[in-house]
Amino acid sequence: MKALKYLLIALCTVAFFGCKPEKFGPITSNVAVVKQLQGTWGLTKVVQVDQDAKTKGFPYKELDITNVYAYKDLVIALQLDALGNPSTFTITNGNAPKIVDLTSGNWSVDQNLAPTTIALKNGTVTNALSLGSYTGLSSGKLYLVRNKSINGKVILSYQYEFTKK
Amino acid sequence: MKKLILSIIFSLSTLWAFSQVTFSPVTFTAEDEVTITLDVTGTPLAGIDDIYIWTFSNDGVGGGKDGLVNGQWGNSSDAAKFTKIATNKFTFKFTGTTLFGQSPAELINFGFLAKTKDGSKQTPDYKPYKFDPLVFVPTQFRVFPAKLDQTDMATVYFHQDLATEQSLQRLFDVKVTIVFYDAAGNEFARRVDMIAKKETDKLYAYSFIPDRLVTIPSGTVLSKFSYQFTGNLKDANGGNTATSGPVVEVAYLTFN
Repeated sequence: MKALKYLLIALCTVAFFGCKPEKFGPITSNVAVVKQLQGTWGLTKVVQVDQDAKTKGFPYKELDITNVYAYKDLVIALQLDALGNPSTFTITNGNAPKIVDLTSGNWSVDQNLAPTTIALKNGTVTNALSLGSYTGLSSGKLYLVRNKSINGKVILSYQYEFTKK
Repeated sequence: MKKLILSIIFSLSTLWAFSQVTFSPVTFTAEDEVTITLDVTGTPLAGIDDIYIWTFSNDGVGGGKDGLVNGQWGNSSDAAKFTKIATNKFTFKFTGTTLFGQSPAELINFGFLAKTKDGSKQTPDYKPYKFDPLVFVPTQFRVFPAKLDQTDMATVYFHQDLATEQSLQRLFDVKVTIVFYDAAGNEFARRVDMIAKKETDKLYAYSFIPDRLVTIPSGTVLSKFSYQFTGNLKDANGGNTATSGPVVEVAYLTFN
C-alpha cells in the first residue's frame, strides 16, 4: 500500500513536470521576402477593381484592362544593397500608362519579415503600393496593388501582376 | 417684360445659390459620411460666426422628414452647428441614415438651409441633392469604375438590350464621342466617332485614359467628361441614317 502511494506520487510528479509548453517551429520556413522582391519584373496583367461596387454588392466589380493600352511594356527593377536591404528602383514605362508618378529613386518596405507595403521614394515624392500574396514570389510572380481612397475609404484599386524577367 | 426680368433674376440667384455648396465626396449614398462646405457670401448670414443647418429629406418625392438634429426653428440644437473654417465658409459633416433616421431605401434626396440659432436670418434652400442608390439599377449606359479621377481608365458601356428607344435598339456601326470639361465647366477637348468595341451581341464599350485621348497640360484639372453613343439606322429604303443617343455626364472625383 505504501509502495502504491509512492508510485502515485511519482506518477503525479512526472505528469506535472511533463506538462510544459512545447515550442513549435514555424509552419513554413522563414521566407526571405525582400530578397525575393529583388530583380527585374515585367507587368503582365492589370485589373481595375471598383471597391465601392464590391462593398455594395453591385455587379461589375472588376475589369481586366491589360490589353487596352501597352501595359506589358512596363518594367520595374528593384535592387538590394550589399547588406540585402532595399535600395534603388527604376521603372521603364515604354508605351504603358504610368502606374505611379516616379520612374526612379529608392524603395523600402514597411517591415522586412512580412512586408505589406512597398514605398517608392524620390525626393519628397512617395508612392506606396501594397504587396499582394507572397505565394507567387517563389515562382516568379509579384503582385502589387495601388489603392485610391476618399477620406480613408478605398474606392478604387488597381491590381498589378508582374512576372520576373 | 417685368415677369421675364424677374424670372432671369430668380434663375441667376438659384445658380448662385448652387455654386456656394460643395460636397465631399462628390457623390454619396445614404450610408456614406459626407461633408458639406457652404459659402454664405452674399446671403443674409454673411459675416456671422455661428450658423446652424436645417435639413429635410425627400423634397418633392414624398416620405420626407426633418433632420433629427434640427432642433426647433427658434432654437437650433448644438448638433446642428456648422464648423467655421474661414470667413463666410463653413462645413457640416453627416451621414444620411443617421441624420434623418431613415433607411437607405427610404432616402432619395435631401435639402438644407443655413440659419442663425434663433431663425431670424437664413439662406435660401439648397436642394435637392440625390443620394446614390445602394441597390444596383441596370441602365442602358454606365461607366466603370463608377467613381474615378482624371488619371483613371474609364470604360463607358452601351447595353443595347436595355435601350428604351427603338432607334437605339436598332443602332449599328456604334461609335462614341467623348468631351472633357475643365474646372470651370467649359469644354476642354473632344474626340468624336471613336469606334466602340462590340463586347457581346448587345453590349458596346469604349475604354480610355484622358491623357491618352487628348493633350492635358500639367496642372490642368478636369471636372467631368461626357459620352454619347452614336451610330446608324436603316431607313425605309435600306439606307443608313445617323442617330445619336443621349449625352451622359460623369463627374471626376478627387482622391486623397
